[in-house]
Amino acid sequence: MDFVVDLIQFVVNHFIFLLTIILFTVYVLLAVVSAVALHWYLRKNSYVDYNSIILAPLTPSVSIIAPAYNEEKFIVDNIRGLLSLYYNNFEVIVVNDGSKDKTFAKIIEAYDLEKVNYYFDYQIPCERIRGVYKSKNRSFKRLTVIDKVNGGKSDALNAGINISKNELICSIDVDSIMEADALLKMVKPFMEQTDKKVIGTGGVIRIANSCEIEGGQIARIRLPDKFLPRVQVLEYTRAFLMARMAWGKMNGLLIISGALGMFDKEIVIKCGGYSTSTVGEDMELVVRMRRYMAKQKEKYKVVYIPDPLVWTEVPSTIKVLGRQRNRWTRGTIETLIMHKSLMFNPKYGILGMLSYPFWMLFEWFAPVVESIGIIYFIILAVFGQPNWSFFFLLLAFVYTFAISMSTWAVLFEEMTFHKYKQKREVLKLILTGILEPIFFHPLTVYWSMRGNIDYLRGIRSWGKMDREGFQGKRVYKH
Amino acid sequence: MIVWGRYTCLYLVVSLFGFYELTARALPDSIVRKDSIQETRAKVEQEEPKQFFDATYERLLDKADRSYRLGMYKRAGKFYKEAAVINPSSKFIQFRLREIENRNNDLRSVLFYFDFKKPDVLIKSLIFLVIYFIVSMLIILVIILTHRNKMESVEKKKQILREKYQNLLVDFLFSTENASNVPAEIKKIAMSPFNRKILIDQMIDLSINLSGETKDRLRRLFFALRLEKDSIQKVYSRKWHIKVKGFHELAFMDIVEANDQIIKCLHSKNNIVRMEAQLAMVKLGHSDSFGFLDHLRKPFTLWEQLTVYETIMFHNLPIPRFDKWLYSKNKTVILFALRMIEVFKQRESYSNLFWMLVNEDPDIRNMTIKTIGNLKIRDALPHLKRLYKNETYENCLAIIQAFIKMPDESMLNFLKLVIDKEEDVQLQIEAAMAIYTMGETGINALQKMIESDYKNYQIIIKHVLDKRIT
Repeated sequence: MDFVVDLIQFVVNHFIFLLTIILFTVYVLLAVVSAVALHWYLRKNSYVDYNSIILAPLTPSVSIIAPAYNEEKFIVDNIRGLLSLYYNNFEVIVVNDGSKDKTFAKIIEAYDLEKVNYYFDYQIPCERIRGVYKSKNRSFKRLTVIDKVNGGKSDALNAGINISKNELICSIDVDSIMEADALLKMVKPFMEQTDKKVIGTGGVIRIANSCEIEGGQIARIRLPDKFLPRVQVLEYTRAFLMARMAWGKMNGLLIISGALGMFDKEIVIKCGGYSTSTVGEDMELVVRMRRYMAKQKEKYKVVYIPDPLVWTEVPSTIKVLGRQRNRWTRGTIETLIMHKSLMFNPKYGILGMLSYPFWMLFEWFAPVVESIGIIYFIILAVFGQPNWSFFFLLLAFVYTFAISMSTWAVLFEEMTFHKYKQKREVLKLILTGILEPIFFHPLTVYWSMRGNIDYLRGIRSWGKMDREGFQGKRVYKH
Repeated sequence: MIVWGRYTCLYLVVSLFGFYELTARALPDSIVRKDSIQETRAKVEQEEPKQFFDATYERLLDKADRSYRLGMYKRAGKFYKEAAVINPSSKFIQFRLREIENRNNDLRSVLFYFDFKKPDVLIKSLIFLVIYFIVSMLIILVIILTHRNKMESVEKKKQILREKYQNLLVDFLFSTENASNVPAEIKKIAMSPFNRKILIDQMIDLSINLSGETKDRLRRLFFALRLEKDSIQKVYSRKWHIKVKGFHELAFMDIVEANDQIIKCLHSKNNIVRMEAQLAMVKLGHSDSFGFLDHLRKPFTLWEQLTVYETIMFHNLPIPRFDKWLYSKNKTVILFALRMIEVFKQRESYSNLFWMLVNEDPDIRNMTIKTIGNLKIRDALPHLKRLYKNETYENCLAIIQAFIKMPDESMLNFLKLVIDKEEDVQLQIEAAMAIYTMGETGINALQKMIESDYKNYQIIIKHVLDKRIT
């Protein structure tokens, strides 16, 4: 019995510690690779004049697909924002996914739409499309609106793909605000492809809470006033500039955010489109496309663009944020389980040997291990005699590492896109980084554990997303 | 951009090692007790004969040990001293008392407060990392704030200089004075390397909007100030981004002196250097602007093709006959040639295009079909019809789309057959569209098909006839 107890103690003590050390080392390595990649990217693109290619005849055609569900308040402005993007060869497909409010009526009225005799093929299965609408006004000829039976975000995107006529598809959350030159930047990697086929591009998502919006565009960038959105600014900066950039450089990117991603339509259709059986459809599609390309033995890459391309509103209340994180966790688990054969499978190269195990260990298991560690420590504190000195030293180590990484993230932002102009904002961000491990991190671990439990209980819903809105109250349900 | 790329790595490596060395030196040799109380006691007891004392002695020793363990050394010392009165020969008590005394004398002893019970190297490393992270954070904070100040002040200074130089340059360009008489003020600017850089940038900016005599005057000023030497020097730089800047400057100022060096870069492994060298050659190559296409081994990406096209358009350069590259060994060069034939409507290349329809590569055939369609080469219609049967799906679609651009009633039956036999919706729609573009004959044919009992074509034809869709 003593042996068993000792063994458990040894494993728990050393496994958690080792995992922490490996995790920290990986984070540092990713940050270094990101720094090099960012440096290269910024230098390379400093010579590009995107404006000169807006009207060029050789650019590939793009279909922007924006699913909308109960978006009545801002849908008209948001579509206007999409229609005014800088690009010459694109169409906007808005999919009304069975909204229960006046979303559809407002679009019809604002853009003078009427039903057309649109014939298409259900290349990817989706819920019934009730009608396809075009504007009577030729100035909105780029716009196509689909009215369909509710089927969720993935289903709406699949309907849009079925209607799309172009080579590339760009999926976007209709409540996000795209930078005017975002399409130009996202198309560029497809035009630069050589022996490796570019199957998808993703970019940086920025947080729009507290920003000033005018005419569907960001007029003034401001750091969020509230702590929760502000802490997410740090999180997003770390994730996008310090991790995904590195994964992109190593061609190991496993996710392109659902808020904005561009894909090769042909490959998406061959892969069967977005999966409707997961709440993490954005990650799942990328993994499936990568698997498909590997199976076809075709060289390919998924490109990541560090430029801020889209601005989105993030949850500002604990309740809504908790739901979002819960869903992210379930989406990750579902995708990882769906593609479990990738684990350490050399056939899939970096995808099987590095990206998948990383996500498994550090995105899915890390919060679970952390929770076990906390419970174990509490038991030890109550019944045993923990090594307090070592505990405090480790705590100091983990805490200082966390704030150090956040500070690096602020530096990355400062040296690259420099979006927050005031010194006060930078200091606020640093202070947020100091508070984050104390107030925010425990919550993320809790939400992640809830996600795991909900997954085991078979919960597959999106959860309600209440949003404040850029200019007032906004509700987004799915 | 002060700590990016290699500087970041260098900073991490140097600071990690350097800082570890410093921390290791600053920390005492052993920051943890090598033995716990029990271990020390056991060792000492082994050495000294076992003696038995009364309960008071044991109680004093226990109290002393407990206080010692909790770091209450003053109190522990008091109890050890009382115990030493009962057992003055105890080596353990003497050892502990000596330890407490040493500890009080050692400024670094604060670390002894902790009983880590872990390997010394682990504890040292962790303490080092904690200090490192804190110091790092403070350094980064200072970097951020100073960088911001520096950036703001440099940008402000640049802005002032830009405006000042622009005014001076505009005054000079539109004055009636001889171009070789450079104003003293501009000469003075050109003395400082920092100012020269801004002056060059400003001249390049101005040159974009100038042409004819004024541009020539600007170019002469560039030479008079010997700024071309700066640009040529940049081309020879080992840093790729400086090299590329040099290419830009030479191309805008039409300086051919460094062409040999630019030609060497046409096959560079660095994609950007290669692309920018190509662009510079298109501008500076004069009689052989596109000569690089003859020797291009690397793929000529669509992006590169687009930038070359933009350069031609922007500088209004003479356009060569692109059909001479239709037989290149580089597939991407052939695709570029086809695109340019289409964009510049080079009708003299038509006969060569027909040969491309039987090229082995389906992508080249696809581009050829599209080019033929866009150029409306009607002579190719029978060829396209013949090719349809054995073509790939993408090429079949391209053939039908070419028929839309070149409506021909003789193709009516063929297109009806496509609608009838093909299962792909896109092919059916495009074929119906091709019939529709034939005018009255086509519309009548579609009407008949709607009424036909043979198959239900209604949805397809309604789609095609709906003008709001296209």
